[in-house]
Amino acid sequence: MDTLTLYMQYIVNGLTLGAIYSLIALGYTMVYGILKFINFAHGDILMVGAFVGLLVYTALTGEAADPGVWTIIAFFIAMLISMGFSALLGVLIERVAYKPLRNANRLAPLLSAIGVSFILSNGAAWIFGTQSRRFPYPFANDPIRIGAIAITPHQIVIIAVSVIMMILLTFFVNKTRMGKAMRAASLDQATSMLMGINVNRVISLTFAIGSALAAVGGILASFDFRVYPSMGTMTGLKAFVAAVIGGIGNIQGAMLGGVLLGILEAVGAPLLHIPNSMRDTVAFAVLIIVLLVKPDGILGKNEREKV
Amino acid sequence: MRKAIAFALVAFVCIAGAVAGGASEDVYKIGFIGPLTGDNANYGIRCSNAAKLAISEINAAGGIDGKQLELIAEDSEGTVDKALASYEKLAYTDDVCAIIGPVFTSPALAVAQRCQEDGIVMISPSATHKDVTAQPATNADGLNYVFRTVPSDALQSDVAAHYFYEILGYRNLASLYAMNDYSQGLALGMKDTFESLGGKVVAEETCMVGDKDFRTQLTQIRAANPEAIYIPNYTVEDAQILEQAAQLGITVPFLSSDGFSDPEIYNLAPDFTDGVIYVGPAQAEASTILSDFQVAYGEMYNGDAPDSFATNSYDATYIIAGAIDRADIAEAGVDDQRLAVRDEVAATKDFQGANGTLNFAANGDLVASQGVYHVEGTTPVYVGSFQIVDGHIVQVD
Repeated sequence: MDTLTLYMQYIVNGLTLGAIYSLIALGYTMVYGILKFINFAHGDILMVGAFVGLLVYTALTGEAADPGVWTIIAFFIAMLISMGFSALLGVLIERVAYKPLRNANRLAPLLSAIGVSFILSNGAAWIFGTQSRRFPYPFANDPIRIGAIAITPHQIVIIAVSVIMMILLTFFVNKTRMGKAMRAASLDQATSMLMGINVNRVISLTFAIGSALAAVGGILASFDFRVYPSMGTMTGLKAFVAAVIGGIGNIQGAMLGGVLLGILEAVGAPLLHIPNSMRDTVAFAVLIIVLLVKPDGILGKNEREKV
Repeated sequence: MRKAIAFALVAFVCIAGAVAGGASEDVYKIGFIGPLTGDNANYGIRCSNAAKLAISEINAAGGIDGKQLELIAEDSEGTVDKALASYEKLAYTDDVCAIIGPVFTSPALAVAQRCQEDGIVMISPSATHKDVTAQPATNADGLNYVFRTVPSDALQSDVAAHYFYEILGYRNLASLYAMNDYSQGLALGMKDTFESLGGKVVAEETCMVGDKDFRTQLTQIRAANPEAIYIPNYTVEDAQILEQAAQLGITVPFLSSDGFSDPEIYNLAPDFTDGVIYVGPAQAEASTILSDFQVAYGEMYNGDAPDSFATNSYDATYIIAGAIDRADIAEAGVDDQRLAVRDEVAATKDFQGANGTLNFAANGDLVASQGVYHVEGTTPVYVGSFQIVDGHIVQVD
């Protein structure tokens, strides 16, 4: 296998990871854009989304269904239900744990988020146990060979679903009235309110959309990562890093950061000829370098204090 | 308080000394070192119980040379300090002719050095670290005094390498292992032996425990084109590796370790386990010695069941007793007793114990079998048990 093919294979692998990171990073970045607050429970919403998706899917298809048209339909039904459930959960968490603290010390909602994160992951461990579960493929998953490069249908689905979700989100934010309200609220909440925008509704909507995207990310990730109560911790952290690399608060930045981090993880260690057990070290070292050069992330605007 | 403890200790030593002094002419004394109190007392208590059981059986049958055996059990609390203090009492005050234990690896490493230096047989029933039997023989005669009745960690990777090279005929292997003592120890051990046989590990990739994505490593391995891939990891990692390898179009066989004997692998990766070959525990022969031991142990200790280390301790006691019996030491001084017992323990051949047939290698390691399993679908099929004899792999049943 020549070097070019080898690196093409790494990039295919990295894109799959990156697409998942991007989807999850969107939730961090949207919430930050409006509330200037890191929702550390976001990773655990991803986990809840994955569990709900798995439960609905197995309820619809039975334990060991052969892949067919029905399993694919069931998969998308499961994804929609999981998105709905997670969206409601996200809104509920915001109402109960964050909204009352909106005017408190900046650390208070952060700690509240960490608390919610523990409640969700320990709750899941209590209900479901800590062992990993398989998410069965709803379609035949034999690898497709393009020359020496192998790609599987599930990788194509991950990338395709992520791209569709990101296009829909971009359209929503840029072309709809509610999207415009969101952008206004992220620029200046007080003025938006004076202009007649219901900022509370905008915030709820932001949590709903972010959580629904996390559910999609969680379900897609469970093909590769399995489903287990602590699955959101590392994946959530990586997605957060992706959001920061891209420029937190910036939607395109989150997408770019996710893809970049995924490819970096896949290519970094072999490119530098270091052991793969150091791959996270490479990824986080790049994060530090990016922040040293561009403290606001790649696409982050260098905003000065607003007057 | 400290005074009280010191007083109690002095009193204890005086009484022990008095008892030992009085009885020295008509008993053979065997020492035991293990944790008898503290968090890990369960291991030490079961091991010492098994040794006591063996000794009571031997004494009930008339003892050896008309003398009774006596077990002097010392508490190490599982620590190096206490184990060395126990050793000093047993070696210099009690004049034991051999020691069973220590139970844990770290105390065993420390006591092994002293046993090699002073020339006292030590048989550990449970310390598996490969270095326990690698302590230099620092005694005047340069003889090895350290043995164990538990397989060394090095054995599994040794049998694996020989099996892959000699029986499966592989010359180029790749390995993918997690950075922990278990996986790394097996992967590096297998590599050493495999390359000393003439094979080559053409790709050696690592990951962290808890990693989920192994595609980069597998892509590198695929590029190195090995004949098979060794994955001595725990179930969760192995499941991911097998599945992602299939997705990358890797078709060469996978080889694994005793971590693979956990059936959870068939829940996590049921479609990808077919064809995996792994080295794991040998299936124990169902012997009457073992079942008799288990029954007698239950009767003597209120229905408690012995663990595998206790079984090893039971065998160790009988090996020492056999050595004392064969050696002609009834009238010998303690140093001659210790030397003669060492020679006889080292000469142990085809000892029939609760764990089946048992032999020692020259370094004092147990010559044990390892099982080889070939997975068909989701069912591990037992190929047989194997040993390394004179540098070659031999199927023993």
